[in-house]
Amino acid sequence: MIPSDPKQVKQICFDRIDIPDVNTLAVARKHGAYAFLPTVLKEFTAAKIVDEMKLSGLRGRGGAGFPTGLKWSFVPRNTGKPTYLLCNADEGEPGTFKDRDIMRFDPHLLIEGMIMAGFALNVRDAYIYVRGEFLHEANVMNEAIREAYAANLLGENILGSGYSMHLTVHRGAGAYICGEETALIESLEGKPGRPRFKPPFPAVEGFYRCPTVVNNVETLATVPAILEHGGAWHAAIGVPNNTGCKIFSVSGHVNKPGNYEVPMGTSLKTLIEEYCGGLQHGSVPKVVIPGGSSTPWLTAEHYEAPLTYDGMIKAGSMLGSGAIIVMDETADLIAVTRRLAHFYAHESCGQCTPCREGTGWLERIMIRVENGQACAEDIQVLSDAATHMAGRTICALADGAAAPILSMLKHFPDEVRARALGKAA
Amino acid sequence: MSAAVSINSHRFSEARLAEIAELVKRYPGAQSALMPVLYMAQEDFGYLSMDVQQHVADVLGLRLMQVREVVTFYTMFREKPCGTYLLEVCTNAGCMLNGANELVAHMCETLGIKVGETTDDGLFTVAEVECAGACGGAPVVQVNHTYHEKVTPETMDALITQMRADGGAV
Amino acid sequence: MTSLFINDQEVEVTPGTSILEACRQNDFDVPYFCYHPELSVAANCRMCLVEVEGWPKPAASCCTPVSEGMKVKTQTESLKKDRQMVMEYLLIHHPLDCPVCDQGGSCKLQDYALDHGASKGRYAEPKRAVVNYELGPFVNTCMTRCIHCTRCVRFADEVAGTGDIGILNRSDHMSIAGIVEEALESELSGNLPDICPVGALLDKPSHDVSRPWEMSHHKSTCTQCPNGCDIHIESRGDEVMRIRPIAGSPEPWICDRGRYVYDAFRSDARILEPAVRRDGELQSVGWDEAFDRVVSLLKDKRVGILFSPDWSVEGHTAIRMMRDTLFPDAKVAFDLHRRDMRPFAFEEGLSMTTAQIEAADQVVVLGSDLRQRLPLLMQRLRKRGHAGKPVSRIGAMNYRTNMEISNDAIIRPRDWPAVIARAMEQVRDLGKTAAGFDAWLAAVPARHEAGKILADALMAESCALLVGEEIRSDNDAAALISGLDLLMRACGHAETGSDGRNLIPEGMSAQILSSVFADVRVSAGDLFAAAGAGELDAIVVVGSDPLGDGLFPTAATAALDKVPLIQIGSIAGRIGERAEVQLPAAAYSETEGTFVNMEGRVRVATNPIRSLGQERPLWKVMMRLVQVMGGEVPVVSLDELRAAIVARVPELAGAWSATEQDKLLLAPRRNRTSSFTPSKQKHAFDLDVVSRYSMYREGMWVRASKLLSEAAMLHCLDDLLVHPDTLAEAGLQPGEMVVRSFLGETACHVGVREDVSPGVLFVSRRGVAGALSDLDVASLAGGQS
Ligand SMILES: Cc1cc2nc3c(=O)[nH]c(=O)nc-3n(C[C@H](O)[C@H](O)[C@H](O)COP(=O)(O)O)c2cc1C
Ligand code: SF4
Ligand code: FES
Repeated sequence: MIPSDPKQVKQICFDRIDIPDVNTLAVARKHGAYAFLPTVLKEFTAAKIVDEMKLSGLRGRGGAGFPTGLKWSFVPRNTGKPTYLLCNADEGEPGTFKDRDIMRFDPHLLIEGMIMAGFALNVRDAYIYVRGEFLHEANVMNEAIREAYAANLLGENILGSGYSMHLTVHRGAGAYICGEETALIESLEGKPGRPRFKPPFPAVEGFYRCPTVVNNVETLATVPAILEHGGAWHAAIGVPNNTGCKIFSVSGHVNKPGNYEVPMGTSLKTLIEEYCGGLQHGSVPKVVIPGGSSTPWLTAEHYEAPLTYDGMIKAGSMLGSGAIIVMDETADLIAVTRRLAHFYAHESCGQCTPCREGTGWLERIMIRVENGQACAEDIQVLSDAATHMAGRTICALADGAAAPILSMLKHFPDEVRARALGKAA
Repeated sequence: MSAAVSINSHRFSEARLAEIAELVKRYPGAQSALMPVLYMAQEDFGYLSMDVQQHVADVLGLRLMQVREVVTFYTMFREKPCGTYLLEVCTNAGCMLNGANELVAHMCETLGIKVGETTDDGLFTVAEVECAGACGGAPVVQVNHTYHEKVTPETMDALITQMRADGGAV
Repeated sequence: MTSLFINDQEVEVTPGTSILEACRQNDFDVPYFCYHPELSVAANCRMCLVEVEGWPKPAASCCTPVSEGMKVKTQTESLKKDRQMVMEYLLIHHPLDCPVCDQGGSCKLQDYALDHGASKGRYAEPKRAVVNYELGPFVNTCMTRCIHCTRCVRFADEVAGTGDIGILNRSDHMSIAGIVEEALESELSGNLPDICPVGALLDKPSHDVSRPWEMSHHKSTCTQCPNGCDIHIESRGDEVMRIRPIAGSPEPWICDRGRYVYDAFRSDARILEPAVRRDGELQSVGWDEAFDRVVSLLKDKRVGILFSPDWSVEGHTAIRMMRDTLFPDAKVAFDLHRRDMRPFAFEEGLSMTTAQIEAADQVVVLGSDLRQRLPLLMQRLRKRGHAGKPVSRIGAMNYRTNMEISNDAIIRPRDWPAVIARAMEQVRDLGKTAAGFDAWLAAVPARHEAGKILADALMAESCALLVGEEIRSDNDAAALISGLDLLMRACGHAETGSDGRNLIPEGMSAQILSSVFADVRVSAGDLFAAAGAGELDAIVVVGSDPLGDGLFPTAATAALDKVPLIQIGSIAGRIGERAEVQLPAAAYSETEGTFVNMEGRVRVATNPIRSLGQERPLWKVMMRLVQVMGGEVPVVSLDELRAAIVARVPELAGAWSATEQDKLLLAPRRNRTSSFTPSKQKHAFDLDVVSRYSMYREGMWVRASKLLSEAAMLHCLDDLLVHPDTLAEAGLQPGEMVVRSFLGETACHVGVREDVSPGVLFVSRRGVAGALSDLDVASLAGGQS
């Protein structure tokens, strides 16, 4: 159940975020960082950790919402091969900027979460794959890791527990697709980030064809709280099947854009009006993209929908990475769609025919639509080309590319037609 | 480090090679070190000429094609030189809704170049980039990967003036 | 087995099979571009989509494994639309140049556009521009036609091992590219046009020359190396236009040598008419006149016979019959690369199939440039490499293999006894021994560390030795092979069934030859020596060129200075300049014939191309020769000849039955009693000479091919190479110097290369280096400055 006053809920990932200098080990420790770690390393078994994670109901915060405990339980044991833990800090989904704040403000939270996850999965080598642009964040993480090594929180025989783990920050270099977990693995192997088809799944054959777990920053940063307070504690926050808090990155036409960590189940309207200071113009949004640019659009009709995985599906979209892009009545939807079409055309890894050719095609038609130089058939082509990309490719980028186009056509057919044919007011 | 010397030699310094040797140990395979090493090469040599790419391949024991594939796939690896200050404006949705396109137009006018071009004095290159992951601070401009958020034409002008004054003393 | 339903029909396939393979195996048509049964799966074209009951989205069938009870649909309205869209996506940037494209008529894109495409494309935007690049002498690129299936990239990585084709950029700027400055260097490059489903990679030599539908196809066997690949010879009329591999053969690929030799079939070097030398010139004459000259040269004479192992079994047997009838005392030679004719413990041929070699726990290549010799076996070893299986190697040169060799040692050929002895000691210490070990070890004082590689590999459950030319051509080869035989016996690798003793043969049909001719053969060197010493009156050479190939060009020249030459064959070659008479024999494309490859596989060519000139099958020429010489003609028809073959080689009984043929696997000959220990060799010169075998130069056919000769220019090394230490020790600088040998002194240019073993003089261009081919040892001295 949602507590009556959501603001009273103890924040999970952002608990220490406002504390000055909490990125340093000394300050972080003063505020509880690594306090529970020795207990986990000495008293918890791997199985217990996985059980607590399952009990917590935590679902991956990277976009797909896959239950984290379940994912960990899929990793085969005793294969004779090493198991790797990769933290997905690629944060490329347009609208998303939450992982950045965890890393630059509270890096030790992520490190602690990774040590615990690594311990549960018997990982010796873990990596944080940070998008290349986050140079500052990578530097902050590296400094925190340096401190952690010096304090024997990383490296050999951590705190005398017998468990050893090494952690390396690896920078991407400007490719959205590397947020997709198998592309991330390819990239970390020193190759272009082209997704692999599944099966085999990374849990079985991932990094260097060894068992591999890929988790988002926010997911891993939630682990210390779950282990400290118990899976049941976490499961009690939010609503069933959509437990805990979630960081929503709100941007666009709101008065106070930013990251807000709120319990799952908070409504879109509450978030925008109570936290984000409402819209810049008007009272209800024209369009809300609830989970990053790859998720289908919502309109005013769903303004009160609860922000949960299930709630968003019910409303016809997805919670995705929790990146909420708000557009008020002043927004030029067609220009936004064209811009997003450019994004996907630029970021397609190029391997699947429909995505490689389709994304570029969509962009080129959208340019004509935006400029009023299209014809009626173009609108049909937009619809066909987008429909037959989605769900027919190796990864979900093509689905993401189709989403804005199909949403635009679905919600604003008249506007599109008028603009395309050069008859817009 | 003296960048000028490295640019001419197109060979990593001994110190760099030692650093690379350490780096390689952090991964199960040497190829994983390719992207970090390309960053080093870009830092040392300015950009990734074919010569430099061959050198990186040699240092890591890779084939030139393996390096070429990576260099051309990722946008942050440059095969051509660019200005001392690389001004990258995010024009994706979040920033676009908060005036990024207008900001780009303003910058281009101020500097007298088009997107993708470099000023004659070699100081500035303007580029449009994809979502920088900081939409809460839209519009966002990265100057050599330092983020500047909620940038307005006025703050941008001030920044440019400052950079001109620094004259490339990075 | 897993059973599943495809379009409501129940089928069974092995577990783990992909849906696409399950469909292919059961004749359900699913279109695809990127899938290729011999390459890894990429799943990028998205043409192979199918529907699986209960799945929310269509699945790419090439990368989706079957599961029990799965219900697959390959033809639905929605799939039809999906495929139509994939075609539309692919065609948006594809040029509309089918009428001028060589691929037209055999293009997947064209075919599918008809089957699956919409009637018109709706793309109204500019098409992308792309650059072409250099893929070597045999492949043209027209990259605007590329559909990015990445088959060529995977081929270069996985099969050719060169990895020089890559994927640059991303999104719709993605392009397939080579390294612009460097041509692809692969001995398998001719397969690229075959695997490209569209007209982006095209066969350069046949560019604009012929169209697919003009060709007639003749199934045949390539005799350019002992792998004996199945080939389709494509001809337009009587002219050979192209050679291609045959789908479903043991090897899906063929090498560039076997493929591009085709222009030799219609080259000026062909012998197409009988000719006799008059006033120093060869002049075309009728068969009768030519035979008259033959009779005058051979009647009641002492004759030596040299022939090529590449003829069909029918040809070889006919030569033997001719010899037995006309010249029962004649010396016969067919091997230009063997000095030691004592019976080897294991004779030429492979005990294992290439598939078994690929699967063995250990493979050790001993003294062979396998990539040049047997490019397809090399490709199998590369496949092993991809599967993480070791390949070790010992030899005189770090030959390029395009794969990672697990254990590698470079040695001088004179070190072989010490290498083998070292291995014997090691396996003996581990409790494995054979009766002859002591005697063998006693004969060899030295030990060489490289033996450890050999011994380590021998300890595996199964171990394949690939014994190459460096050992086979050794003066003491029988002893070395004896030693290897003992090792294999000691370690249990010599039993039938798991026999890992493989001696790489020189030329096709070698194991048959060692049965049919074992009793009468001599080394080619002995034959020339006999002629030179006045013990012979004439030499008959059947399809061989001792001046251009092999280890005896100097000896051959000396012999031919003394005695007249009767040349019978398809190609004149260098030796043609010396012929008194030339008789044309049909090429392998022009005869019905039976061939046995190095594994002992039997192949029968039944659909020959018509002769270009007057050439006749070799066996007929031989019988006619018997007749004109007044002998009793032993056989008059192919059936009689084949009966006679079976009488000599009973294992071949099933060769001409379509059902039996594929089951035949002839084992190479074993000489169980042959046992030799190394002789105390005194080397008159300090360097061992090793000659490079180049697939673009070796063999009469190859030298008659313009295409291959041009390729040879790209693949050449310095004439003579030595290790830098070798020069340093002699106090010399690379450049002009003198090679001293039993032939005297020769001025040469010598380069250096780390890849050559110290103490070895590497002759990288046999033939060009001429006389040096005869050498096994030599030394270097300062040039005439
Ligand atoms: C095109 C694409 C881009 C993605 N980008 C990201 C990303 O930037 N960050 C992220 O954590 N997950 C991203 N994902 C999701 C990952 O594939 C993966 O599901 C996630 O990292 C798993 O972590 P989680 O279980 O903790 O959510 C992306 C997926 C797709 C298809
Ligand atoms: S859908 Fe697009 S981004 Fe994803 S693998 Fe295919 S081509 Fe690459
Ligand atoms: S054949 Fe399956 S995707 Fe190409």
